[in-house]
Amino acid sequence: MKQETAAQAKPLIRVEHVRKVYRMGEEKVVALNDVSLSIYKGEIVCFLGTSGSGKSTFLNMVAGLEKPTKGEIFIGDIPIHKLNEERVTLFRQKNIGFIFQAYHLLPMLTALENVSLPLIFRGVDHKEREKKAREMMKAVGLKGYEKRKPTQMSGGQQQRVGIARALVGTPKIIFADEPTGNLDTNTTREVMTLIVDQVRKHGQTLILVTHDRSIAEYADKVVTIQDGNIIKIEAKQQQLQ
Amino acid sequence: MNSRDLLDLCFRNLFRRRARTLLAVIGVVVGTCAIVVMLSIGYGLTANFQEQIESYGNLHLIQVSANGGSGVNADKNDLKGIINDKTLKTMGEIKGVDAVTPVVSEYMTVAVGKKVTQTEFVGIDAEVFEKFNYEIGEGRMLRPSDKNGVLFGNNVPMWFYNPNKNDWSDEPEDVVDEKLVITADWEYGMKKKSSDPDKITYPEFKGKGVGVLASENDESSYRVYMNIDDLEEIIAANKKARKENTTANGRQGKTYDQAWVYVSDINEVEDIIEILKDDMGYYTYSATDWLNAMQDTARMIQGVLGGIGGISLFVAALGITNTMIMSIYERTKEIGVMKVIGANLKDIRKMFLIEAGLIGFGGGLIGLALSYLISFLMNTVLVGVMGSIFSDIGGYGSSVSIIPWYIAVGALAFATFVGVAAGYGPARRAMNLSALESLRNE
Repeated sequence: MKQETAAQAKPLIRVEHVRKVYRMGEEKVVALNDVSLSIYKGEIVCFLGTSGSGKSTFLNMVAGLEKPTKGEIFIGDIPIHKLNEERVTLFRQKNIGFIFQAYHLLPMLTALENVSLPLIFRGVDHKEREKKAREMMKAVGLKGYEKRKPTQMSGGQQQRVGIARALVGTPKIIFADEPTGNLDTNTTREVMTLIVDQVRKHGQTLILVTHDRSIAEYADKVVTIQDGNIIKIEAKQQQLQ
Repeated sequence: MNSRDLLDLCFRNLFRRRARTLLAVIGVVVGTCAIVVMLSIGYGLTANFQEQIESYGNLHLIQVSANGGSGVNADKNDLKGIINDKTLKTMGEIKGVDAVTPVVSEYMTVAVGKKVTQTEFVGIDAEVFEKFNYEIGEGRMLRPSDKNGVLFGNNVPMWFYNPNKNDWSDEPEDVVDEKLVITADWEYGMKKKSSDPDKITYPEFKGKGVGVLASENDESSYRVYMNIDDLEEIIAANKKARKENTTANGRQGKTYDQAWVYVSDINEVEDIIEILKDDMGYYTYSATDWLNAMQDTARMIQGVLGGIGGISLFVAALGITNTMIMSIYERTKEIGVMKVIGANLKDIRKMFLIEAGLIGFGGGLIGLALSYLISFLMNTVLVGVMGSIFSDIGGYGSSVSIIPWYIAVGALAFATFVGVAAGYGPARRAMNLSALESLRNE
């Protein structure tokens, strides 16, 4: 059923002939050659590739952190490649959640405050954001850890805080760059299940970037990137059902 | 981000790197302290100068002297430099002038009982003299109706002596309501007089003491005062005795050599002096002349001291900038994360500006408190030592250091401004950091 709606609806993310070239002094490095792709609402898409394949570059460009050398990127109707930094930041604030490999929690804030951070940036008032953050902490299984500082938590717990932070503002799209790269196998399984469950529950779109084939198992669609080109797109619909 | 959250975040950042924040704050504390204390010494000096000058004479008083003009060639209508009834009236109409009196003076002998002394007799207009704010120590003020009434300066009663005996005493002679003899005869009361054949025989006048002024040791205390009409009569009689020409009336009517102008607001004295000198052509003398010269000196000293303080605050500003730049390096990743998860660029800039501003403000506040403490200590414990040092450059008096409120407020505002200004560069830099580069910085 998902397949049907996805096929008929307008894609949420539209990447058209994107090319990214880095200049390293005299040399030019082609990070992405000519990539076109559509991602639909509610999809979980995994970009699989080795280090240097261009998968992170792709993610950064869709998130508006980098501008493509050539090509266009639309989220909904908004041309991400055309927005200036201020507007793209504002867009991210409202529409995008981020999960990082190294968690990237702010060390001077408690877990609860870290989770609240996107809401703080939006200017949500204290009472409301505290309520939402607490609910989110509970949802990621960290009830009771609200007052802890990041340094007082394990990697898995920190990543759960990171997930809660990415999800607290109910963004349309979640980006996860090697979200389990720093975690052991057991924790990886827990964390991935948590992310996928939450995303499915809220009908959000998840874009995963990893070099780990086992992570790809969680995705609806796996896009394999090599040397800046998409070499394979597999739909994993069957397996998930 | 709302401002409360922003401020909260800033405080946490500052407290997180406590040691560095503290060092930057101390820099500002020292800078602020240096400026405030240095300036306060300058203000202390100015105040001491003022105290000192006031002992030289009344700061409200301008002494005006006529400047020629009574010659035969003088134009009847050209009253420049002339003191007569008409110009006295004009002086009285200058904005800020409260009272004007013409002044005549004569050095004469005054006797009470068997004791005599020589002093300067000053004839003034008793009617306006009351407005000159002289305080009466004994007796009462001079009145226009007092025929040959004499108002004594505070020191004069102590000068009386018996010319036939060698008994000098500092005890003031009782002069109030006593009968006096006024004469230009220097040898009045002496039993043995000089045998100079050309000796002029001066007339003697009967007078009466009415009061003694309260103010000690300023110029008013060395004179006695009479109604101008009475003294002019005496002067005319003295001139007659000396066989001098007494027709003082020139073409401009009756003129005077001197007049006194009283100004109640000291700050206006300078402007009025300018009008009297430049527009009306008189010579003037006022204790304010000294005050200005001394104030210039004080200002210069203050400028030098404040400059030294300013250098310390400048160094403190470098400290703040350095702290903030270090802080950016340290927090590059955090800034990146904040940008990626949607912190407004302006909020990031604000965050750094506020942090720097807080260092400035906090340092300024502590510095100010410390300055008041230092100032207090200077004025109590150190006043003896400091006083002797500063008396060399012209000041003496009760306080070494004075901190006016506007210096306190100004220093605090300045310290905050220095903080914000020092943080501006780093703040821009933080804002312009590439989110991606920052995240790679692992």
